[in-house]
Amino acid sequence: MNAFQYLAPIAPFEFEAPDSVQELLALLRDEGRGARLVAGGTDLMIGLKERLLQPKVVIDMSRLRPELAGVYLEEGLLHIGALTTFSELEADPLVARHATALGVAASQVGTLQIRNRGTIGGNLANASPAADAAPPLIALSALVRIRSSRGQRAVPVERFFTGVKTSGLLPDEVITSVELPVEDEARSWWARFARRNENVISVVSVAARAELNSGRFERCRISLGAVAPTPILATMASDALSGKSADGATIENAAKMASLESRPISDVRAGAEYRRHLVYVLTKRVLSKLVGRGS
Amino acid sequence: MRTAPNKSLCDLLHDEMGLTGTKKGCDTGECGACTVLIDGRPVASCLVLAPQANGHEVTTIEGLGDDVNLHPIQDAFLELDGVQCGYCIPGMIVTVAGILRDNPDPTEAEIRRYLSGNLCRCTGYQQQVDAVKLAAKKLREHRKTA
Repeated sequence: MNAFQYLAPIAPFEFEAPDSVQELLALLRDEGRGARLVAGGTDLMIGLKERLLQPKVVIDMSRLRPELAGVYLEEGLLHIGALTTFSELEADPLVARHATALGVAASQVGTLQIRNRGTIGGNLANASPAADAAPPLIALSALVRIRSSRGQRAVPVERFFTGVKTSGLLPDEVITSVELPVEDEARSWWARFARRNENVISVVSVAARAELNSGRFERCRISLGAVAPTPILATMASDALSGKSADGATIENAAKMASLESRPISDVRAGAEYRRHLVYVLTKRVLSKLVGRGS
Repeated sequence: MRTAPNKSLCDLLHDEMGLTGTKKGCDTGECGACTVLIDGRPVASCLVLAPQANGHEVTTIEGLGDDVNLHPIQDAFLELDGVQCGYCIPGMIVTVAGILRDNPDPTEAEIRRYLSGNLCRCTGYQQQVDAVKLAAKKLREHRKTA
């Protein structure tokens, strides 16, 4: 992969800015194949300038914020609109309380300027292996809600991604929200390693969610980012924690298993071996945080 | 404004509207030289498709101060030597305006974090961080007397 991508003037396209989700779905039905959706634009604009993307039509989702942005809690489910920005996620009290890992990850995405535009739906649709919203959502058992003029479907986030920068989203579909179950006893956390403190893509990220019952881990999910073609659920490490005593030995074992489950590549940012080691270190750190043993 | 849609807000402001304060540094949203406020929030205008700005309030550096009446943030940057070549400055001043609107008394750690999307190759940032603290103070005093 080139470190420097040549940028060119953006190729011409037809521009549409629907005023309602209904209008959007009709547009996608008629033009979906040759169209690209734009929300915050932080990924799409790069694609357009690099001429990797040359859509016939660009459909702007900005006017749909009243319908598709915002966070609310209803009947034990936390609903997050696809157009909710990372800044909004960072500041939202419901996210802080019920989806802590997501709020922490959101606060570390890119820069202030990127967080003010980038959306959770866009992050998922772009499907980068390093998508920062994904490991927290996977750990929190989130579903992606997808709509088209044909109807609606929901996919667990860990099954949404099909490969590097590819998802199961069809040309006439749009992500409208994510939702995750809320448990009062659940805790979650997230940590990442990157080459700088800010303004950077994650080299390895780890999110974990668990309940603690009488000193034992229960219903644990550990999810890893940037160490496989897609964000993944570390099923073996997660299962290794369930029912076990929440102590150093359990954490150590789970961290080692998570490391073995990762399938990183070596690239400009880090080598595979180092990434596997980081999975071990960050998993330990995140699990220790859940138990209240460290920072 | 009538324009073809296949351009960024940065292109529109700088090339078509003659508002050359907003600068294209990297064109990929990483350097912050193109920062403007949309509805009061700092964003990279190189990543905003020009028509997306329709119906929103866009504030550029030209909207914050001019040669005769500098904005208190501009004053603070000049007072504490936060400006050398000046290329990063419009974007940085706009970002600071956005920050201080929502957080009138930021800590040094917060300032450094919020400025991490505005790269400066000249100063080493220390004078700029100090300038933000001074600007915050000036704005707080201004609000008291206003």
